[in-house]
Amino acid sequence: MRLLFLSHIENARHSLRSHRSRSILTMLGITIGVASITAILALSLGASSIIQNQVDALGGNIAVVRPGTQQVPNTNQFSTSTLTDNDLLSLEMVDGVRAVAPIMLLTGAVRGDEQAPAGTPIVATTPALAQINQLTVRDGQFLDETINRDTAVIGAQLSVDLFGSEQSIGKIVTVRGTPFTIVGVLERQNEPINYSNVDFDAAVIIGRDSGQEINQGSVQIQQIHVQTDTVANLDRAIISMNQALLRNHFGEADFTILSGEAIAQPTSELFRAIAGVGVAIAAISLIVGGIGVMNIMLVTVAERTREIGIRKAVGASNGDIVSQFMIESLFLSIAGGVSGYIVGYLLAFSISTLLPFDPAFSWEIAGITAATSLIVGVVFGLYPAIRAARKDPIDALRQYD
Amino acid sequence: MAIHTSDTPVIVLKDLKKRYGIGESEHFALDGIDLTIQKGEFIAIMGPSGCGKTTLLNVLGLLDTDIEGDYELNGKSVSTLSRRKQARIRSADIGFVFQSFNLIQRLSVIENVALPLTYKGLNKLQRLKRASDMLHTFHLGEREYYKPNQLSGGQAQRVAIARALVNDPSIILADEPTGNLDSRTSHIIMEELSDLHMRGNTIVMVTHNPRLTTYASRVITMLDGTIDTDTEFPENKPELAEKQPLGTPKGARA
Repeated sequence: MRLLFLSHIENARHSLRSHRSRSILTMLGITIGVASITAILALSLGASSIIQNQVDALGGNIAVVRPGTQQVPNTNQFSTSTLTDNDLLSLEMVDGVRAVAPIMLLTGAVRGDEQAPAGTPIVATTPALAQINQLTVRDGQFLDETINRDTAVIGAQLSVDLFGSEQSIGKIVTVRGTPFTIVGVLERQNEPINYSNVDFDAAVIIGRDSGQEINQGSVQIQQIHVQTDTVANLDRAIISMNQALLRNHFGEADFTILSGEAIAQPTSELFRAIAGVGVAIAAISLIVGGIGVMNIMLVTVAERTREIGIRKAVGASNGDIVSQFMIESLFLSIAGGVSGYIVGYLLAFSISTLLPFDPAFSWEIAGITAATSLIVGVVFGLYPAIRAARKDPIDALRQYD
Repeated sequence: MAIHTSDTPVIVLKDLKKRYGIGESEHFALDGIDLTIQKGEFIAIMGPSGCGKTTLLNVLGLLDTDIEGDYELNGKSVSTLSRRKQARIRSADIGFVFQSFNLIQRLSVIENVALPLTYKGLNKLQRLKRASDMLHTFHLGEREYYKPNQLSGGQAQRVAIARALVNDPSIILADEPTGNLDSRTSHIIMEELSDLHMRGNTIVMVTHNPRLTTYASRVITMLDGTIDTDTEFPENKPELAEKQPLGTPKGARA
């Protein structure tokens, strides 16, 4: 049986080689399908893993409080955040909490010498943010308790956008019509995707009170970052934080406290959803490729009707004929799968030069490509192979080639 | 190959019928054939076109198994066998020689001859060795790696005979083996078949050419799906069979 298998493989190689260009073109269909699936998966995995890596890099003692819950997400854009100043104070009181920083994200016109790009994030926060998010200042200083309210820290990229240089200390940036003096420029982070949902390179950071002022006196806290004194204390602190916030919210659990992997999850889920759509589209191209395999296998079977008759006459069973043609189609699809995997990663790496993250390698992606190409080979090879085996040997021998 | 006792015929057919169509258009290609073939016989089947010669050969070769009546091959009724078993018997016990040679064009001569061994589960080295030995006995040793279309008709048919013999079958079925050959080449092929016969092989050959029947030990003429005449030519029985009881006493004949 094993020897028969080897001879089928040899036979498949032989027959595919004798129609080289036809085989390569058929394989190309599978290659394109598998390559697009591989590229999409590799990139989306790369994207979701960078957030994970950032969270890990921060040391594992960070918790993030977000409005809404997993079950009742705060997706309504017109609803206000459920987090308040009061919550901030309560969190600071919790045992084991070292620092708490709110993130109040505003948008609006930002001007320096030049107009800042539309959608430049305006972050109103407290000095603790620098410590929690490990933001380092390249020039000048970060916000602190003693500093004048009309001061701001800007990201390195925003500095270039506004003033054409990273040296912008002392210059005036106008945020929503209110002038702020720049006291610090941040070090470049190169992390446009992160769990704060803010690209600090392109952001202007102002004090919480100034934020409230330019937001017509109301406070909108989208997110609160909490740092505990030790990693071991994190879990206990989260429980106390939960209790404190529940008390503030009159027992209504309209907030979520995330830590560890869960911080990255909403963003990862978004990427996964996008990747899912992408993979579905790529799967269509794979199906088209599979139909190509089926088509070529049907042509091959028709061409070799006589050969099938001869093989049956000299003792091939139906099963032998099925496996002969199945192995040929599997050969096409597996070769297509392997080259698709390689091409997919080449594609992912070339695309990633335009993106802020690198594609990731994982066994899952290799497994998915292997499985899909096998499945394509079996599914689209089975019908032609069965058709070949069902041929009546007498009719098959009568056909002249 | 299994050793057959001298009293077991290779083939026994009892009231064999092959029906095409149903109802009004019903037609019997074979209409009640009783035939016993002993080991070592060289049978030539003659008859006009459409008398069922080729159908009979296909039935004997298990290519056509949709039959009525009884067919025993080496003492076993084939109707009870599964398709897989039938394929195995085709592989082990039956060698086909066709009018149009039926070599696979994309395979070399030696691979064509080795083809039946593939389905017996031999490894590649064994297959090629046996095929090579077989080709040498047919003086085709130098043509091993030629493609079939590079051979003359006579050579191609000798390759086909080598392929039929490579599994050492108990019966060789030849369907007009010289039909595509000129008369000189035909005689070379017939000499080969005759030689095989002398060495104790059982051969059933369908032919149109009455001259070729001189090689046979028994000539059967068919008409409308039945056996018309059945004549034995004892002078063509292989001497070998008389010295060694490869064949059987050929008295009991219908």
